[in-house]
This record gives sequence, C-alpha cells and structure tokens, in this order.
Amino acid sequence: MSAPLLELHGLRKSFGERILLDIDRLAIERGGAYVLVGANGCGKTTLMRIIAGLEPAQRGRMRFGAEEFGVAQYPEPLRHRIVYVHQHPYLFRTSLRHNLEYGLKCRALAPDERARRVEEALEWAGLRDRTATPPARLSGGEKQRAALARVRALAPELMLLDEPTSNLDREGRAQTLALLAQLRDGRRTVIVACHDQEVINLVGYARLRLEDGGIALQSG
Amino acid sequence: MDLLEPTRRAFALLLAGDPRLLEAIWLSLWVSVAAIALVAAPSVALGFLLAKKRFPGQRAAVVLVQALLSFPTVVIGLILYLLLSRRGPFGSFDLLFTPTAIMIGYMAIAFPILVVFTISAVQGADPRVYETARALGAARLRASLTTLWEVRFGILAAVVNGFGRAVSEVGCAIMVGGNIEGLTRNIPTAIALETTKGEFAQGIALGLVLMVVALGVNVLLALLQGTGGLR
Repeated sequence: MSAPLLELHGLRKSFGERILLDIDRLAIERGGAYVLVGANGCGKTTLMRIIAGLEPAQRGRMRFGAEEFGVAQYPEPLRHRIVYVHQHPYLFRTSLRHNLEYGLKCRALAPDERARRVEEALEWAGLRDRTATPPARLSGGEKQRAALARVRALAPELMLLDEPTSNLDREGRAQTLALLAQLRDGRRTVIVACHDQEVINLVGYARLRLEDGGIALQSG
Repeated sequence: MDLLEPTRRAFALLLAGDPRLLEAIWLSLWVSVAAIALVAAPSVALGFLLAKKRFPGQRAAVVLVQALLSFPTVVIGLILYLLLSRRGPFGSFDLLFTPTAIMIGYMAIAFPILVVFTISAVQGADPRVYETARALGAARLRASLTTLWEVRFGILAAVVNGFGRAVSEVGCAIMVGGNIEGLTRNIPTAIALETTKGEFAQGIALGLVLMVVALGVNVLLALLQGTGGLR
C-alpha cells in the first residue's frame, strides 16, 4: 500500500476555551474520495480551511506528499496543489472564462494550455453556452458548477469542497451531484464536507465522521 | 446686478479662445491630473493596508487620515508655504510660486480622500474575494491586487473625487502658487481674482469650464460603473 497523500498529526484548533478540533491522526489516501460528515459547527469547514492553509491552528503537523511541516508554517507552494472551494463560491466580477483561467495564471501555465483546460472544464460543467453571461447573473447551480469547473481546470492533487449542494434547487443539486460523481475517478483526491444524504451516499466515497473534535473513518 | 451681460461676455471669451483663459484652464487641468497620477498609487496601497492589516496603532492611523479630510486647505497651503519658502527646510529647491508647489499641495489635499475612499471600498468588498484568490493559488500580492480590481469602481470614485477636490481648490493654490498670471494662475484662483476686480465675465467663463470638467468626470465615472458593474 502506498503512503497516504495527506497526513495530519496532533492537530489542535480552539477558539478561546472551546477546543474545536483535536485530531490525533488523519490519513487521506492518494486518489481517494471522502465525504466529511458531522453536526453543524463541529469543525468541518475549519478542518478543510486548515488543510488548505487559509486558517491557522494552535498546533499540529501535516505531511503532504514528501513535504512535512508544522501547520503554523504552511508552505506557499502547497496552495498550487491543494484547492478549497467555499460553501458559497465567489466568482470574480469578470468573465466566466477569466474566472476559470485565474488559478491557471497563478500557476504560470502557457496561454495555449490555459485555453485548453478552460474549454475542457467548461464543457465538463455544461457551461459552454453560458460564457457570455456575467457570473453575477448565473443561477446558484450554475455558480456552483462554475466553481467546480474552476477547481477541476487546476487539476490539484487535493480538492476540498465545502457543502457544494447547499442552497441549490432540485435541478442544481442533481447537476452538482452528477459532477461530484465524475470527480471520483481514482486519480483525483477529493474531500466533500456535507449534510446532504445524497452526497453522503455517493458511490465510492468513503465517510469521515467528525465528532467531539476527533475524526474517524467509517465504513458503509 | 445684471447677470446676463457678463454671462454673454463669458461665452464670447470662451468661444474666442481668450489666451489668458486658456492658460488658466490648461494649468488647472495638467497640475490636477499630474497630482492625482502621482499620489493615487501610494494612497490606494496605504488604504488597502489600513483596511486589511491589523497592527498596533492601525485604528489611530485611520482616525488621523479621516481627520485630514476636514483639514482646511488654506492651512495645508500655509504649512507648505513654510516648508518651501526660502528659509524653510526645502527652500533650496526654489519651488514656491511654481506649478510644482501647487501640485504638491493638491497631492496633500487628495491624499486623505483617496486613502479613506479606498479603506471604505476594501472593507466593503466581499471577504471571500481575497480568500478565493488565495485558495486558487494566488500569492499575497496577487490576491491583494485582485481584491482592488474587484472594488475598482470604488477606487475609481476615490480618484474622481480626489481630482474634483484638487481642480476646484483655491486656498492652497493661492498660498503656494501666488496666482501669477501665465505661471501659476489656474481656474479657481483666477475666478477669485477676477471677481474681486469686478471682472465677472472672466469669472463666469472659468466657472463654467470648472463645472463642465466636474460634470464630465462624474458622467464618465457613472458610465463606467453602469457598464462594468454587470461584468
């Protein structure tokens, strides 16, 4: 068995007296797909933000691939390998194509490669006919699909998706669920935080339960 | 007082392209534009830092800049006069009563406007902007520039307001410019002078130009906001 893609050791995150996260060890396998479940306010979002380097923690060590570091010293290059998608994704007030291209520019990819990936991601998310629409005018479901397309275009080693089906209508949920099912292809590693039973039951997604600050891998 | 006759003569002066009038207009415009061009970038950068960074004394710095907004421009002129006069610390540069001195005054006047408007725009930005940029792999500088771009209409409003304040300012321009015809006489100082001389036609003509300039930049801003807000 190969080494995990991500390992967390001794992670502690507290707000004042309240300890939100107290995780001895968490291992995420390369190419695995996980749903992160737990009660409201149990720290799902906080855990994903810590892994993405968007929020500090009091202590803990993280290993990602060959890199090992204390969570307080998050290495900047890791932001190109781990991408977090907000529960209510923000689309920049430019064009849809520019939104999808943004992270690719941050990675200094060649214009041809950027264009290829953007077109492929638009096709994947079924948004090719919506490129002339300002992002602010897209529906909730379309915005969520655009955010998923934006992260897919980057092809990061680890995708962290926060409640991707929340606040969507029936059609938007169905389309997003279909995309989530496609993301699990054995090459990408995906963690999806959610309450949505349909997401939790997605075929091939392992279940991580966050409870009382600790985390456990559940079967079934 | 009969307003019709001086107004008629004012239009006649404008249409004839009176050289004294054109000189004052040209000086006002280039000095104001140059002042804003020079002060905009550092002011916007400072506004962004004051809005986003937490450091000891940050609140006091914001209050200080806000207080500068209501600082009388004539006092700014007086301070500059003392600094630039022959006996002042910068007297050797020989800048007093030159367009450069007016430009420095305009920069000092526009600075707090630009900083305060930028703070307001950045604090009003969606907090997800910066975080989304970082999450997508942007370095801190790029994420900061992305945030500024997202609030570009607020920043543009800051620039337009700074320009409007500079181009219409009179107290500081008289103090450090001296209102010298052909050298430092600009639209507001010329209006003040011509009116005291009873030359209302010149004053009205220059006043009309000033209003057209003010209206023009604000219409431009409204047009840009109108089309860009949807993108």
